[in-house]
Amino acid sequence: MFGFACAAMAPALIISRMISPRKRSNPVKFLPMECGQVPSGEGRTHFMMQYYPYILMFVVFDVMAIFLYAWGSAILEIPKVATLPMMGFLAIMFGAMAFALYQSGRRKIW
Amino acid sequence: MSVIAPKFKLSEFIKSLLDNIFWIMLLLTFVGLPAVQIVLFYIEMPVIHGELLTPFLAFTWLADPTRILPVVHAFMATDLFRIAAFPGFGFAALLAAGTIFVERKMLAKLQLRVGPFYCGKIEGILQLMGDGLKLISKEIIIPAKADKPIFWAAPVMFVGAAAAFVALIPVAPGWVVADIDMGLLAVFAVIGFFPIITILSAWSANSKFPFIGGIRALFQMVSFEIPLILSLLGVVIVTGTLNLSEISASQSFFPWIIFLPVGAIVFFITMLAELERIPFDLPEAESEIVAGWLTEFSGMMYGLVQLGTYLKLYAFAALFVVLFLGGWNGPMVVPPFPEEFLVGVEMGPVKVGPFPGLPLFDQAMLNGTLWFVIKTVGVIFFILLPRGVFPRIRIDMLLNLGWTKLIGLAFVNIFIALALLYAGVLGPGGLQ
Repeated sequence: MFGFACAAMAPALIISRMISPRKRSNPVKFLPMECGQVPSGEGRTHFMMQYYPYILMFVVFDVMAIFLYAWGSAILEIPKVATLPMMGFLAIMFGAMAFALYQSGRRKIW
Repeated sequence: MSVIAPKFKLSEFIKSLLDNIFWIMLLLTFVGLPAVQIVLFYIEMPVIHGELLTPFLAFTWLADPTRILPVVHAFMATDLFRIAAFPGFGFAALLAAGTIFVERKMLAKLQLRVGPFYCGKIEGILQLMGDGLKLISKEIIIPAKADKPIFWAAPVMFVGAAAAFVALIPVAPGWVVADIDMGLLAVFAVIGFFPIITILSAWSANSKFPFIGGIRALFQMVSFEIPLILSLLGVVIVTGTLNLSEISASQSFFPWIIFLPVGAIVFFITMLAELERIPFDLPEAESEIVAGWLTEFSGMMYGLVQLGTYLKLYAFAALFVVLFLGGWNGPMVVPPFPEEFLVGVEMGPVKVGPFPGLPLFDQAMLNGTLWFVIKTVGVIFFILLPRGVFPRIRIDMLLNLGWTKLIGLAFVNIFIALALLYAGVLGPGGLQ
C-alpha cells in the first residue's frame, strides 16, 4: 500500500513539473519565505531547550506503553494473580513519571 | 496554459501532433508487440469460469457485457484491486475528497459565509477538481539551500505513510488490505512515522517557519502519542487480541464505547492532536507561523500533503469506528441478491441468463460497508466540527494536557477495563 501510494503519487509531481511554467527565474524567488522580508540568519536555527525533558520522558514511557500491550493482549490467558506485579510496575512508573513531570515543570533549571 | 498561448502557431501544432504519432507508432512496434508476445507465451493467465483467459477470449468478453462479469469477479479477488480500489486507496481517497468539500462548506455555514459557490453549477461541487488542476499546473519552487532529495520525497512519503495506515483498516468482514495479527501495533508504528516525515521536511527546507512548525509537531507527537497508545489498551484488555478485524467482529452485540467511554474520549482528543487539527493545530498555525511546516511547499507538493492529511483523517476516523463504535456491525438493511438472476429470467420466448459470477459483492459485505461508512462519516463530522468553534491552545497547555490529564484518564480507562474483566461482565463467561 505504501509502495502503491508512492508509485501512484510520484507521477503527479512529474506531470506537474512537465506542465507548469518554469520560465522566469531570479534569486529572490528561491529565498526562504519570510513574509516578504529579505531573510536574515540561518534557516536551521537553535530552538529552546524548555520542553526538552518531555522528549526524554517520551523515550521511556513510550516503550512502557508498548510493553503494556504484551500484557494486555495476553491477559485472558494468564492467571489473575499475575496482574499484581503489573500493578506494582505501574505504581513505580507512575512515581517516576510524577517526579519527572515535577522536574520538567521547573522552568528555571532548563 | 499561459505558456503555450502567446507563441501558438498552427503549423507547429500539426508538426508536434505528427511527431507524437510517429513516436507512438515506433514505441508500439518496438515495445508493445514484444510485450504482447511476452504476455502470450510466458505469463500464466488465470482460469476464469472454466476457461483460460487468452487475450482473444478477453476481447470477446468485452463485446458481450454480461460475459465480462466473471473477469471482473476474478479481478476483485486480487490484491491489486484491494490495494488500489476498494478497501484501499481509491475508497479512502474518495472519502477524503468528500471530506475536504464538506469541511469547506460546513465551516462556511458555521461562520455565516457561503463557501465554495461558483465552480460547478450546484453549490461549488467542482471546487475540489478546480483546486487540483490549479495546484498541478503551478510551478514548484524549492528554496535555494534546501536539501532537495528529502524535500521532494517528503510529500510522497507522507501520502505513502497515510496509505499504509489506510491499509490496516478492515472495512467489511474479510475486506482489509493487510490483515495482520499485530494490527494495532502496526497502527502505532505507522503513526510514529508522521512526525519523522514532518521534521525531515521541515529541516530540509532550510527556512525558519517550517523549522518551528516541525519542532512543534515533534512536541505534539511526544505529548500525545502515549495517551493515544494507552487509551486503546482498554479495548485490547477486554478483547484479548490485537487484530483489528477480530476487534471489530467482537462488537457484534454492543460497541465498546458503552463500556469504555473514557478511553473513547481520550482517543478522540489525541486523534485531534495527531491530525494537527484545531484546537491542536500548532504545527501549521496559520496566524502565527505562516503555514508551519507546509510553508515552503508549493504547487502539487502542497496538494499531495493535503491528500495525505485527509487520508490520515479518514484512517483515524475509521480506526475510532473499528475500535469503539463496532466497525461494520449493524442491523441487516441491504436486501438479499435476487435469486432469479442466478438461475436466469424467462420472459415469454426470451430467456436471459443465468449470469455467471453475478453477485459481485455479497450481502454481508455491502451491509458492513454501509454501516462502516455511516459511522465513519459521523466521526469525521465530529472531527471537523471543532475547527469552526474552538481557538488554538498554547504549547505549554498542550504539553500539560497531554502529560497529566490525558495519561491519567487513559489509566482510569485501563482500570475500568480490568474491573469489567475481573467482575465477569466482559470476557470469557461474560456478556459476549
